[in-house]
Amino acid sequence: MPPKPAAPGAPARNLFHPLPIPPSADDMCPVCKTIRYLNRDMEFLINPECYHTMCLNCVNRLFTDGPNQCPYAGCSRTLRRKGFRSAFFGDLAVEREVDVRRRVAAVFNRVEDDFETARDWDNYLQMVEDLTFDLVHGTGEKRGEAEKVLVRWEGEHKGEIERNRRAGREREEQARRRMGLEKDAARERRVAALREVEEERRERAASKEAELDGIAAAPDGRGGVQLKRRGQVVRAVEAAAAATAEVGRLSIRGLKEKGKPRGAEGPYDPFGGVDFAPSRYRLGEGLAHPQVDKYRFDQGHVTGGYSFEEWTARAMYEAFAGLGVFVEDEKEAGIGLSSREIATIASGIAAVGDKMELD
Amino acid sequence: MEFNIDDLPVLFPYPRIYPGIYMCDLKKTLDAGGHCVLEMPSGTGKTITLLSLIVAYQQYYPEHRKLIYCSRTMSEIEKALVELKSLMKFRAERLGHDEEFRGLGLTSRKNLCLHPSVKREKSGSVVDARCRSLTAGFVREKKEKGESVDTCLYHDNLDALEPHNLVPNGVWTLDGILRYGEEHKQCPYFTARRMMQFCNVIIYSYHYLLDPKIAERVSKDLSKDCIVVFDEAHNIDNVCIESLSTDITEDSLRRATRGVQNLQAKISEMEESDQKKLQDEYEKLVEGLRGADEARREDAFMANPVLPDDLLKDAVPGNIRRAEHFVGFLKRFIEYLKTRMKVRQVISETPPSFLAHLKEYTFIEKKPLRFCAERLTSLVRTLELTNIEDYQPLQEVATFATLVATYEKGFLLILEPYESDTAEVPNPVLHFTCLDAAIAIKPVFDRFSSVVITSGTMSPLEMYPKMLGFTTVVQESYAMTLARRSFLPMIVTRGSDQAAISTSFKIRNEPSVVRNYGNLLSEFARITPDGMVVFFPSYLYMESIISMWQGMGILDEVWRYKLILVETPDAQETSLALETYRTACANGRGAVMLCVARGKVSEGIDFDHHFGRTVLCIGVPFQYTESRILKARLEFLRETYRIRENDFLSFDAMRHAAQCLGRVLRGKDDYGIMVLADRRFQKKRAQLPKWINQAMMDADVNMSTDMAVSSARRFLRSMGQAFPADKQDGVSVWTMEHLAAHKEKVERERIVELTLAREKEEAMMVGNRNGGGGGGGGGGGQWVESDYEMDEDDEAEMMALDAV
Ligand code: SF4
Ligand SMILES: [Zn+2]
Ligand SMILES: [Zn+2]
Repeated sequence: MPPKPAAPGAPARNLFHPLPIPPSADDMCPVCKTIRYLNRDMEFLINPECYHTMCLNCVNRLFTDGPNQCPYAGCSRTLRRKGFRSAFFGDLAVEREVDVRRRVAAVFNRVEDDFETARDWDNYLQMVEDLTFDLVHGTGEKRGEAEKVLVRWEGEHKGEIERNRRAGREREEQARRRMGLEKDAARERRVAALREVEEERRERAASKEAELDGIAAAPDGRGGVQLKRRGQVVRAVEAAAAATAEVGRLSIRGLKEKGKPRGAEGPYDPFGGVDFAPSRYRLGEGLAHPQVDKYRFDQGHVTGGYSFEEWTARAMYEAFAGLGVFVEDEKEAGIGLSSREIATIASGIAAVGDKMELD
Repeated sequence: MEFNIDDLPVLFPYPRIYPGIYMCDLKKTLDAGGHCVLEMPSGTGKTITLLSLIVAYQQYYPEHRKLIYCSRTMSEIEKALVELKSLMKFRAERLGHDEEFRGLGLTSRKNLCLHPSVKREKSGSVVDARCRSLTAGFVREKKEKGESVDTCLYHDNLDALEPHNLVPNGVWTLDGILRYGEEHKQCPYFTARRMMQFCNVIIYSYHYLLDPKIAERVSKDLSKDCIVVFDEAHNIDNVCIESLSTDITEDSLRRATRGVQNLQAKISEMEESDQKKLQDEYEKLVEGLRGADEARREDAFMANPVLPDDLLKDAVPGNIRRAEHFVGFLKRFIEYLKTRMKVRQVISETPPSFLAHLKEYTFIEKKPLRFCAERLTSLVRTLELTNIEDYQPLQEVATFATLVATYEKGFLLILEPYESDTAEVPNPVLHFTCLDAAIAIKPVFDRFSSVVITSGTMSPLEMYPKMLGFTTVVQESYAMTLARRSFLPMIVTRGSDQAAISTSFKIRNEPSVVRNYGNLLSEFARITPDGMVVFFPSYLYMESIISMWQGMGILDEVWRYKLILVETPDAQETSLALETYRTACANGRGAVMLCVARGKVSEGIDFDHHFGRTVLCIGVPFQYTESRILKARLEFLRETYRIRENDFLSFDAMRHAAQCLGRVLRGKDDYGIMVLADRRFQKKRAQLPKWINQAMMDADVNMSTDMAVSSARRFLRSMGQAFPADKQDGVSVWTMEHLAAHKEKVERERIVELTLAREKEEAMMVGNRNGGGGGGGGGGGQWVESDYEMDEDDEAEMMALDAV
């Protein structure tokens, strides 16, 4: 037997929570000169107005009471609390460039299929790139001109931009869904393979068991000796069974299935087959508990037309509501939300992720 | 000796040949045009057999198909060249004239360089880079214009020679060509490279065909009907995978950033001084000319991975056509990777998911990413950079970009922030790992009509076609015929105290197991003459068990009989240890070499004759299964090729074990003991190569230490008897007469077969005529059945007979 590959094919952990990034010694807020050493959870923020870094404390101190001037010497920008976020990139020049690109990409959103020839498409790409380049690196005049071009283009191509945006979103949606489906399929195959291996092991154990039965039944003294080993086999079988149960539990997906479609002949059901009887618990007849009982009679709680049973039923319902709903999975195929990786990676990198998505 | 296979006359340079149908099968493959997998016992002259058949084939048939012979290490290449040389000498003697024939070996510049200062560089990539900066096209142009630039004299001299006749006919060993190059002041590396098109036989390393970064340039001119042989190919899948995988670290990103900054500086410099060059490049890119041939020339600057053909016809996307745009693009990509490296959790994701995230945060699209490597090459060429070694990390990043955007399937990105599970200080590595061995080797199978994959240990054979994605014409494992039992394979499952021994994780550190292994070692050290080799599953285990043995006094015991030497991960230390080992074996002190089943020693070092009389394989050498990369690969194999995890792990462990065992038997006059010491080997016996498995007696598969020792004693005593070489004749080696006799026998059998078949056929016809009424059940059915047993050859023969 080779060593059991621990959970064969289990993917490396893909889900994660943001962990604090270990500080490097030279982290220091340029405004208040606090160093990381004194404040381990120091967080740095920037404002896309001027991309000057400062720590969260400074931001709170300076900007909670409304807009204020950037504390950097020589920077006269007025900043607002709302505009601050942490940077995605270590190099703030790139951070700024990407912000510009976001703006440009929202306007120049044609795709290859919109062009007749590859040459035209490439020329278009270069035109956009030139424009972006001017916006990012250009000096005063050029930059102003580029801004103007951007605004003009936006005005001229309003309808087209909107159309492309929608198409683009749809494409992304599709890709996301496809990825989700593929992943589901892979997961299922993995579970099936696991089960297969487990089954085989069980079969082998069973045949061994049968063999041992034969030996145990043998009239000579060998049975006693062999039986000692038997405990192990039984344990192995139990373990195998437990593992299969584990596998069974993994495919909990069945819970999400909707009620079976009604047969055409059935009587009309105004609720479309939804069954209101609780499936996960059963309400007993008389619920008696001293803590609860007092409400049954307390004048302050009992109102006209209000049944105490109604109250317990509702409490139970709320307690169980939400079981069997898998937010993660729904997000994956959900609308307007990024795929799991994107969401989690983003949150892992910094809190920016979410904010950027809202932009 | 001289003999015929079908109509093909074969000249074999030795008076004796090992029997077997290896040659016939090989010829069949060549005739049919297709691929084959052949497993042939180690030390039976596989190389010379292959070479003599293929050379005969090449010389006899008018197509003169070229042979490309790939081996793994430089010493194996040299060995093959020497064999080829002696073969050609023999042929010349027999035929009475020298044939029009050239055979060349190719290895890296590091081994072939003659330039006085370049050749002294330690790292191969630095040699490559420095050589390129001396030999690049623009350097020569500059020189022609009379500018003072450094060039390499050895390279320049080549231009004066006829391009198809840089060296005279004959077989050139690496040593030989170095000497010739020194004499005539011409570069051996480029001589070999340029002569490749004009050679009959090329012998070089796997990488020249498999690594897509090199293959394109080195091997593109080879024609389709070349015969490609991969020798010692049991590890070929790993070579394929490694050639497409990259690791990115924070340090390499830092250096890549520096590279980008340098590029940027160079561009602004050039914009001021020589704007025209940049403009020229830009225009070329607009036209989609891309200087494809230029880039693919032998002295091209940097190596690009191969791309699918459709991509090669495409023009570079518009948004990276301008140099400054492209540099900004690279910078953004690198910054993105840096941010990703900051995550402190293991992430594994597929290329599409990586690309989606990349696009969201940097607006980098897939298509320009695919062109990254190529665009960088073009830029570096335009800027006429000479210190290319500085741009190596940048190039790695670009290659990664190209690959990740090109292949959706068969690759995985794994980010590991910590070196081990217990490490505190992060040291993130982004592994871009190839999971599919078939990707790298596919172009080879597509391009060449006959590919032969062969090694001493390839069982189970069907694994290779499955993993590498090809179909075979012939797939055969050959047994060894022996005049006497010259090696003794055994499986030891228990210690002398009858307790099971195994290196399985649960019990490997139990004192009783460790002690039992120790006893096994010291017992064999006592009875083995001269050298003995021991293999452990991993360095970690080797270290721990050695220190435990030290505590138990077992090493002292061994020390009384043998010198103890240990392999380490350091190559220099290991080679020193090996040298000492050989000295100790040769002068009679005797030594035991402790090494690791996946280390250097297990792959390339031979322990022939007295350098290795016993090989002891302690534990089944499984791979470290907790590795995420391995897990991903296992999953991929299961999903794509339906190879189950355990099957693959066990296959992989057994091929390494077999490789270890094969170390001590390097020829038919050699002898040795092979001990597999682990309870688990008992079940894996069937996965050993046929030639080892066949030699293993049933009594030897479940032994305890004391039984094994006494059996080994007996074996060694019998080996001590004189055994004249001619006793082997006719059994394990054949001379001319045996061959003739065998041929006759085969022919006789054939005739008998044919007559039988004919009789059968007649009987069947009779049967058919009679058996219409359903009553003829018994007889008729039988004949029909036997009809299925006939193979196609027989049928063809039958028709021929009928026609006569
Ligand atoms: S051309 Fe040849 S000799 Fe000259 S540097 Fe390059 S490899 Fe060395
Ligand atoms: Zn501060
Ligand atoms: Zn500011």
